[in-house]
Amino acid sequence: MSFSTELMTGAVLGGTPILYAALGESISERAGVINLGTEGSMLVGALAGYAITAESGNPWVGLAGAALGGALLSSVHGFFVLWRKTNQLATGLVVLFLALGLTSLFGVNYVQSTINSFQTIDVPLLSKIPVIGEVLFQQTAPVYVSYALVPLLWLFLFRSRPGLYVRAAGERAQVLTSYGRPVRLVQMLAVIGGGALAGIGGGVLSTAYTNAWFENMVQGRGFVAVAVAVFAARSPFKVMAGAYLFGGAFALSPLLQVRGVGINQFALDALPYVLVIVVLTVIGRRGTSPAPEGLQAVFEGGASE
Amino acid sequence: MRQRRHARVGVVATLTAAVMAVLATAIPVTSAGAATETCGKGADTVGFIFVGPKNDYGYNQAAYDGAMALKKKFPKLKVLTAENVPENDDATRVMESMVSKGAKIIFATSYGHLDPALKVAAKHPDVCVVQQGNFIKGNVPDNAGTYFGTVYEPVYLAGIAAGKATKSNKLGYVYALPIPQTIANINAFALGAQSVNPDAKVYTVATSAWCDPSKQADAANSLISQGVDVITQHQDCTSTITKIANDKGVGVVGYHADASALAPKTWITGSQWEWAPLYGDIVKTILAGKFTGSEYNDNYRVGYKTGSNPFVQSPYGKSVTADTKALIADKLKEISTTGSPFAGPVKTQSGGTMFPAGDIPDYAAIEAANTQFVQGVVGDLPKS
Amino acid sequence: MSTSTTVTETSVGAGDAVGSDGSGAPTPAPEPDVSVEESARAKQLKRIGIGLGRTLLAVLGTIVVFAIVIAIKGANPVDTYRALFNSIFHNSNAATDIALRATPLVLAGLAVAVPARAGLVNVGGEGQLLIGGVAGAGMALAVGEALPGEVTLVLILVAGALGGALWAALSVGLRLFAGISESVTTLLLNYVALDLMLFLVFDPWKDPNASGQPTSRPLPTSQQLPVLGNGRIHLGVLLTVVVLAIVALVLKRTSWGFALRVVGGNAEAARRAGMRVGPLLISAMFVGGALAGLAGAIQLAGVEYKLRPLFLFGFGYVGFLASWLGRHQPWRVAAAAILLSALVIGGDSLQIDSGLPAATVNVLMAILLLAVFGFTGKKRAA
Repeated sequence: MSFSTELMTGAVLGGTPILYAALGESISERAGVINLGTEGSMLVGALAGYAITAESGNPWVGLAGAALGGALLSSVHGFFVLWRKTNQLATGLVVLFLALGLTSLFGVNYVQSTINSFQTIDVPLLSKIPVIGEVLFQQTAPVYVSYALVPLLWLFLFRSRPGLYVRAAGERAQVLTSYGRPVRLVQMLAVIGGGALAGIGGGVLSTAYTNAWFENMVQGRGFVAVAVAVFAARSPFKVMAGAYLFGGAFALSPLLQVRGVGINQFALDALPYVLVIVVLTVIGRRGTSPAPEGLQAVFEGGASE
Repeated sequence: MRQRRHARVGVVATLTAAVMAVLATAIPVTSAGAATETCGKGADTVGFIFVGPKNDYGYNQAAYDGAMALKKKFPKLKVLTAENVPENDDATRVMESMVSKGAKIIFATSYGHLDPALKVAAKHPDVCVVQQGNFIKGNVPDNAGTYFGTVYEPVYLAGIAAGKATKSNKLGYVYALPIPQTIANINAFALGAQSVNPDAKVYTVATSAWCDPSKQADAANSLISQGVDVITQHQDCTSTITKIANDKGVGVVGYHADASALAPKTWITGSQWEWAPLYGDIVKTILAGKFTGSEYNDNYRVGYKTGSNPFVQSPYGKSVTADTKALIADKLKEISTTGSPFAGPVKTQSGGTMFPAGDIPDYAAIEAANTQFVQGVVGDLPKS
Repeated sequence: MSTSTTVTETSVGAGDAVGSDGSGAPTPAPEPDVSVEESARAKQLKRIGIGLGRTLLAVLGTIVVFAIVIAIKGANPVDTYRALFNSIFHNSNAATDIALRATPLVLAGLAVAVPARAGLVNVGGEGQLLIGGVAGAGMALAVGEALPGEVTLVLILVAGALGGALWAALSVGLRLFAGISESVTTLLLNYVALDLMLFLVFDPWKDPNASGQPTSRPLPTSQQLPVLGNGRIHLGVLLTVVVLAIVALVLKRTSWGFALRVVGGNAEAARRAGMRVGPLLISAMFVGGALAGLAGAIQLAGVEYKLRPLFLFGFGYVGFLASWLGRHQPWRVAAAAILLSALVIGGDSLQIDSGLPAATVNVLMAILLLAVFGFTGKKRAA
């Protein structure tokens, strides 16, 4: 495989867990709630996905469990942020610690388990297309689902009533209330939905990508998903681009090392984060898409004491 | 109103300052043991600290299993354990906590625990502190020591199996950070493979993490895409790479643990820890009051030549031929007596000479020389 | 911002206002303002009482919920709590351990609190701590033996503060230049800082005498923070208390501190009032980063004496939580830092005495924080 093909394949492979989580987080952020605990939802999803697959033998059941786990955790975040009015960033971090602890506590027995993980499925015909075929159509089933999820979410956000409510909750909450729609409920549902997707992202991580469960295995990719959602919240397609960008940046290090390229391993490790800062700066200078109004308040520190 | 607020703040301020001042004059804890007696005599409690989770199917689990085996061997001995003890000053605190609970023997089982371990040893002359994997430079205190097996010996033998098994002549090594043990392992693996297959090359990928499954997956995938058909690793948790390789039909050489159950299709061999005998012997020596001046009161390294290497070969997989097994058995005899995995001539990656022809280096020389890769290894190391 | 009043206000007895003949027949109430003040005071006492009561309930709730969690895991909650209690209160080492751990944590918390006053979110304490340590180690390397140890030590601390400040300034600079929220950039820069430090300890700054261990050269004794008495408390602990007091004073009494609060309350209004918001934001973040950087340098010179891969790992994020727990008020942040440190020390007991996995202490901390965040303190406006 050529370098660029491998890079793109790695981008999709590694970017998919981030994509799920970022899509989820972007919905939540559209409704005005930022969830730093996304990493925690991914962790819970990773454990739930792995454990339930181990018990049931079916990775799809595992993914369903992952979604449920992620949703449950994020509902804690939603409750405290929306009903108890706690600061979003601090609460998210606390929820992350909670997830770290709980998954450690209850995941101990599953380190030794083996599961029926998702296998690569070559899409007939499409996978034979040079380059694109290898990159896009020789992946696991959850990756294919994510391809469909992106336009579906776009339709949801921009062409459906519930999506309209979600966007309104973040940008013009007064409009919702004046129409008698419950803003907080909409926000909570967005947070829970976001958590479910993040949980699936974690489940994909453990049942498709790494085929393993270890405590604290998400190792910061949840934060990455939050960063992607922040700069791409306007559109699920942008989220996809951002997620793959990161996936590729993470995959770059081993690809270069294997070819004997002598770049320092720590410089390569820092690359994804530097890259994102550069991208954010470019986007920011062009003055496009500020965050939704409700989210602005969080960042201005004005949403709480 | 303003005055009241300031007064209130003043109260809180004074209280906090008072608390911290009290803490600042805290009575230091001195150890109760006499300095003249050897450490650990008649101990009834032993403490173990691990750097990672005790069930990582790898390094820490092996140490934990060894600790639990002590319970069986010494039924009256209380075994305290703490996992996820980071390699910074937190480790000092955790070890001190164990000492305060009566531990007179401390095992600090990770590479980076050395400095905290020495701190604890200095403070408690009656506690024997042994550290796994590092070297005490200069004067070794009476109550401290390091221990390790010569891990690269079974890795060398596994390299022979890999060299025989590969068809593409491309072997893969996923490691975390360029510490001396890792470099020695990679080199030994390459030398073992090259001894039966001069064209074999070892491709290395560093993940900068001891257990990050996503990075491990990326590393394994990129190696396999390059045509690597046998892969091994130096990581704390080993199952991700093992399973990915098995799924893709790539040969697996294990490390730290016997993961053959995870790679039923492609398991070749590997190396794993059997700490129980060594842990047991160290504890026995300490309990008898004979630690100071013993071989453990030093940088104890045991290998095939000097005793019972706690790092042993893993079972063979189905694909390994009887010929290969015989060859490896012969090599094992050789390096246990007159030979060495690093028997000269050994050339470095840059063309220099690590060991000249005819040289049979001892363990100390091997440790000293392994700061760069040998020829046939693809990968970069920091300059120092 | 807190508006509660002092507890130590001398209490004017009820008898003074109502009549002191003790007959129970109240004389007609004198000047109305005295009774108004009295009932206001009574209200304040009630409020404080409620606040305390709420906090106690939160703690109680935490104890119950955590007990349930560990009971599910098969541990005996009573034994576990007893061991936990003993490890913090009956352990002669605990006070020192807590003080040593709280020292960088207090500064890390202040590093979040100061920018928070100006409305900035600093999640980059982790990286700023590291860069502070790096800068300090770099200064030590650069000076070598050329100056007396004590002078070098001061330079190390200054370099640490400066390093952290500059690292933080990057984020606020990006905010002003490109509109990126500093909460995102500070977070991302944490990873970059870690990689920078790893590069240094594995390559150019690796100690050639450390048998291959990835650490920087140890500081010579003359450059280390001296230990007080014959305990383990080093000068950095006292230094931290002093810095804490200074920060509290500056925030409360100086016009800069006041200006920060105005900007934090409503940046737009501040701008319209003629305040130079940009420089204020930069200075707030600068100070925050300097505090974190100082913490790194203090840890280097007082505890670790060398850089290593897990240097001050996690302190930045826990400092963030400490700042929120203390509602960005310096003394309360310090109290929160001490509390969280005590929890971590207690976490050792959860492991060693009760056999629970190491990460269990995270559950305890999270439940406690959620309880306190969610159920105590002022109700915010919707």
